[in-house]
Amino acid sequence: MDAVDVSDHYEVTTSEETPSLLSIVLDTNPRAWAALGNVLPLSKAIANILVFVNAHLAFSNSNQVAIFAAHVNRAVWLYPSPPTAKKPTDTSGDVQMQDASTSAPPGSANKFPQFAQIEAAVLASLRKLTDETTGEDLETTTTQLSGALTLALCHIHKASQQLSAAGTNLEDHTKSSAATNPMKGRILVISVSDSEPAQYIPTMNAVFAAAHSQIAIDTLSLSGDSTFLQQACFNTNGTFLAASNPQGLLTYLMFGLIADTEARQSLIPATHDKVDFRAACFCHGKVVDTGFICSICLSIFCEVPENTECLTCGTKLALGNYGAKPAVIPRKKKKKKKIVNGTPREDTGSGAGTPRP
Amino acid sequence: MSVSNMPALQLREYLERLPGTTFRKLYQQPSTAFAIFRRMLPHLAKTFVMRMLFMPAPMLLADLDLWVKPDAKKQKDQALFILQALHIVHISPPSREKPQEMQLTTNFKNSMRRALTGGGTHNSFGVPSTLVVPPEIDIPFLDRYARKKWEDILHFVVSSVGFKSAGEVSGPNKSVKELLIAGRLVERRPNGSIGITQTGFTFLLQEANAQVWTLLLLWLEAMETNKMAGLEAVDMLSFLFVLASMELGRAYDTNALTEQRRNMLPSLVDFGLIHVPHHKRSMFFPTRLATTLTSSGNSLRSISEGVAAATSAAFNGTSSSGGPPGHGPLKSSTELKGSVVVETNYRLYAYTQSTLQIAVLALFSKLNMRFPDMVAGRLTRASIRQAIQFGITADQIISYLAAHAHEQMHRTAALTNKPILPPTVVDQIRLWQLENERMKTTGGFLFKDFEDQKEYLAVAQFAEEVGVLVWRNDKTGMFFASRHEQIRDLLRNRKKAE
Repeated sequence: MDAVDVSDHYEVTTSEETPSLLSIVLDTNPRAWAALGNVLPLSKAIANILVFVNAHLAFSNSNQVAIFAAHVNRAVWLYPSPPTAKKPTDTSGDVQMQDASTSAPPGSANKFPQFAQIEAAVLASLRKLTDETTGEDLETTTTQLSGALTLALCHIHKASQQLSAAGTNLEDHTKSSAATNPMKGRILVISVSDSEPAQYIPTMNAVFAAAHSQIAIDTLSLSGDSTFLQQACFNTNGTFLAASNPQGLLTYLMFGLIADTEARQSLIPATHDKVDFRAACFCHGKVVDTGFICSICLSIFCEVPENTECLTCGTKLALGNYGAKPAVIPRKKKKKKKIVNGTPREDTGSGAGTPRP
Repeated sequence: MSVSNMPALQLREYLERLPGTTFRKLYQQPSTAFAIFRRMLPHLAKTFVMRMLFMPAPMLLADLDLWVKPDAKKQKDQALFILQALHIVHISPPSREKPQEMQLTTNFKNSMRRALTGGGTHNSFGVPSTLVVPPEIDIPFLDRYARKKWEDILHFVVSSVGFKSAGEVSGPNKSVKELLIAGRLVERRPNGSIGITQTGFTFLLQEANAQVWTLLLLWLEAMETNKMAGLEAVDMLSFLFVLASMELGRAYDTNALTEQRRNMLPSLVDFGLIHVPHHKRSMFFPTRLATTLTSSGNSLRSISEGVAAATSAAFNGTSSSGGPPGHGPLKSSTELKGSVVVETNYRLYAYTQSTLQIAVLALFSKLNMRFPDMVAGRLTRASIRQAIQFGITADQIISYLAAHAHEQMHRTAALTNKPILPPTVVDQIRLWQLENERMKTTGGFLFKDFEDQKEYLAVAQFAEEVGVLVWRNDKTGMFFASRHEQIRDLLRNRKKAE
């Protein structure tokens, strides 16, 4: 008003809404869902998740969503249909799914077309997944979480690359992607089973990759003890929620997990303050409280490896005086150095609160 | 954020003038609630709505403070202000017995829930036609059709300045011309010719999506004053939102519409929002102009379009196969990203063939070279002064340049973390304007004669927080605000509390 203030107008250029891509990893471990069955059947959970997906898409028409299933022995795309490169491996399934997404007539005038489409696609691919699950698959009790996480990460990366490729040339792509992330990626894991220690390394690799590309991993744990996911959320600034009443799934989702990274800048996150930081050892895949660490490559072992050689890097390790009783060493008293010039300050009384180095 | 832009503001202003009862009627339709939610709210407000949507009971207003980080209080207050202005949130008046509570208004809540869960029999997302779709009507066809219609309108406005660049265009329908005149975008000069007004310039320099809305709102207002054919503005508005939620390339059933809405169709055809095939009157196709009505102001131009690889492929297809590469919402893919480069030495390059865009640029710059795919020119003092004489403001020019900046400008700006337009140029354009315009007017309300300084400070503080404060002088105890509704409520509440 009273001065030429250009800063007002910088807003014009930065006001563009960055699209946000939400990748949902749904743990479809049949055993875990069977255990949850009388509280929250899978069908109900899916219905709730779909409402949540719709809510996310309602934010902006540039928002996108991807849904993956972490199954007992593999990770599966639920929506969108998998990239066509996969086609030769399971042709029949792929065709069926595309049928579902294109031909499913959203004939209803009571539903937003996009929502109807996603619902049809997700339900069709889930049905396919359950049909293909054989008795043998059920022998493994754990969930392939790391696979699904990696899949989700790849999808986010690909989508953001597509976006920046549309906008920028390749020359300074690496630089520009660091400067302006073309989209806000976020992964939401809906977990129902325990973390599998054997998957510690792949899971953590995925987590650090996510942290590197500033993708938050959120977790809603409906049952089970998901140690690694707690660490994943902590490392990526995500939200970890443990649902004590799984039947209120929708409330947990809508209240705790609807805010994307942009909104979180101004919101106080609802999150667990307790994080289980235990790691799994590299030799047996056990979750350990205390263990041995290779001083060269930082691999973790639950017991001294054979020949005291690190299993990862092969370094010959020396054990020091392991097993010796820790001796209590009295703390050395620090002598106050006398100040040569000026008055010593001991008498001021404020010296008592000064932290020691 | 869409709300900070010109386009959304205009629709917002229109909506905010509507009384609460109108909103209640509007929100009966899930598609309307959904569209208003999507287009009108800032991000934080959307998050609030989503969090409250499935709450069974009203929540305490004080609890909202617990959600938000202390340094984001301003955003929170602004979000709350907009939510109240649009009658989405209802906050109970303060009283001594009970703390203030907030909840979503009933109609909005029910409709929004229904939009997300997809139940009910409201038919508010359009009834698809069951008839066979003529094979020639596909998405590229609709894009071409809508682009032609819209360009005709824009050309009509531009050519009234005297840049007769496109003699071959047929011009829009007579009713549209009348509307443009009634809306004072152009006016009849005494000699019978048509001349552009300052509003017209504002219109031209807006982004495509905002242009469509401006025209539609003009139309709504004109209908309201004429009371023609018994059309009701509320119903018309909610039909526009229905259109916005339809799917591009799908045929919808005309017979499922009410009589009123059927009467709207001819005008919508004139605007290029829908297409009705000649031999099949019982179906209509929404075009991209209609289906993107609720996208935020600039997403048409922005990266989001890049996501839909399929659609952009279709875009490329059309722009190469025929039809002049357009300005407007249906630009070819290169133009989607903007095409204007401004250098610090005031040179300006535009990679465009569109006569329309060239004509717009010529309004405020001195173009001296034209190549097959680009024009080059300069921003000079004379050219800017001339534009200002036409009634264009510096702000309009700057926002036009920013909105149409070339991808390269965005990229360098992002890399060096600097503003997109060179600050020297932006400053100079404003200085040129200031040479003869030393004042800027803002409509609003002056608040003075407070009972004591304390009350003044509290109210002024509040006005600043909700973002309506324009000017304040603590010494004299006066301030000036651009809106008064919120402040009025605050004052009333303070009176009551005393």
